[in-house]
Amino acid sequence: MSLFEICQWIQNSSIGTGIRESTYVFPLIEATHVLGLAVSVGTIAIVDLRLIGAALTKEPVTDVIEQLQPWTLWGFTVQFVSGIFLFWSEAARLYPSYSYRAKFVFIFLLGINALLFHTTIYKSVDKWNDDVMTPMRARMAGWIGITFWAAVIFFGRWTAYNLK
Amino acid sequence: MLEFIKWCNETWVSQVIRDSTYIFPVVEVFHLFGLTLLLGIVTVVDLRILGFGMRRQSISQVAGALAPWGVGAALLTIVTGILLFLSEATKCYTNQAFPWKMWFLLAGIVLYLLTHRGITSPDSKMSPAVMKVVALLTMILWYGVAVAGRAIAFV
Repeated sequence: MSLFEICQWIQNSSIGTGIRESTYVFPLIEATHVLGLAVSVGTIAIVDLRLIGAALTKEPVTDVIEQLQPWTLWGFTVQFVSGIFLFWSEAARLYPSYSYRAKFVFIFLLGINALLFHTTIYKSVDKWNDDVMTPMRARMAGWIGITFWAAVIFFGRWTAYNLK
Repeated sequence: MLEFIKWCNETWVSQVIRDSTYIFPVVEVFHLFGLTLLLGIVTVVDLRILGFGMRRQSISQVAGALAPWGVGAALLTIVTGILLFLSEATKCYTNQAFPWKMWFLLAGIVLYLLTHRGITSPDSKMSPAVMKVVALLTMILWYGVAVAGRAIAFV
């Protein structure tokens, strides 16, 4: 079975069909996904703004990251779960969309960005925790975060215009 | 009001956006950027007031540092919102969800203007209880704007 055929099977499943043809369920899940942007991307954007030295600059970096992280993670959990249901309902339509694929390329790269940040430069945060101008690698991680999440939002919205 | 809607439809901005395939979606994406940052800031500040999240910092520290960004994000969202409205004024005028969105927005702005000094000031006279009510109201109003905005496409 090809990946596309698997997507067709997913889309045609009773749950997929149920969501897609519902009056309220799809709009509710979709609204959750858009509003979930606030808690997921919105909070990580604040972290990124601290890393690039633009906001909350009087506060230690660890204070911003540690205190917001649980909320960001819950936000992304909501995005992931709502996203799975949205995909479930239109898997075959979404699969060929370049916009949809680009969205996930950027999400993947953002994951790498976060992993690299946390395993390298962040390890030495005690040395630059109170700096407004953080080390280059921390600033890069912040800028990549901001621009790549903007790309995810862009491709997410653009997907609707890129469907057959 | 109908006269105003007709006038909106006839503006140069409205026609340019309607004639273009890409301008509306691009403006809409910037509208999404603005609302993501705005709601994120509203959430972080109001959660702090309610006792969650950035508790190592004082309310005035968190609110004071993020308020300018929140205002900037709101401006981006409102300016792009005006452009979107101009390009489909009639649809907004006849849509059931749109008035709700506008009333929530107006209430949110008024609430901010009335309370932001009390919340960002380090020696504020505002009681914690009042601050918490303001925080709850703020979240309800601004998330209400977003929900009503999303509902436009569905009602």
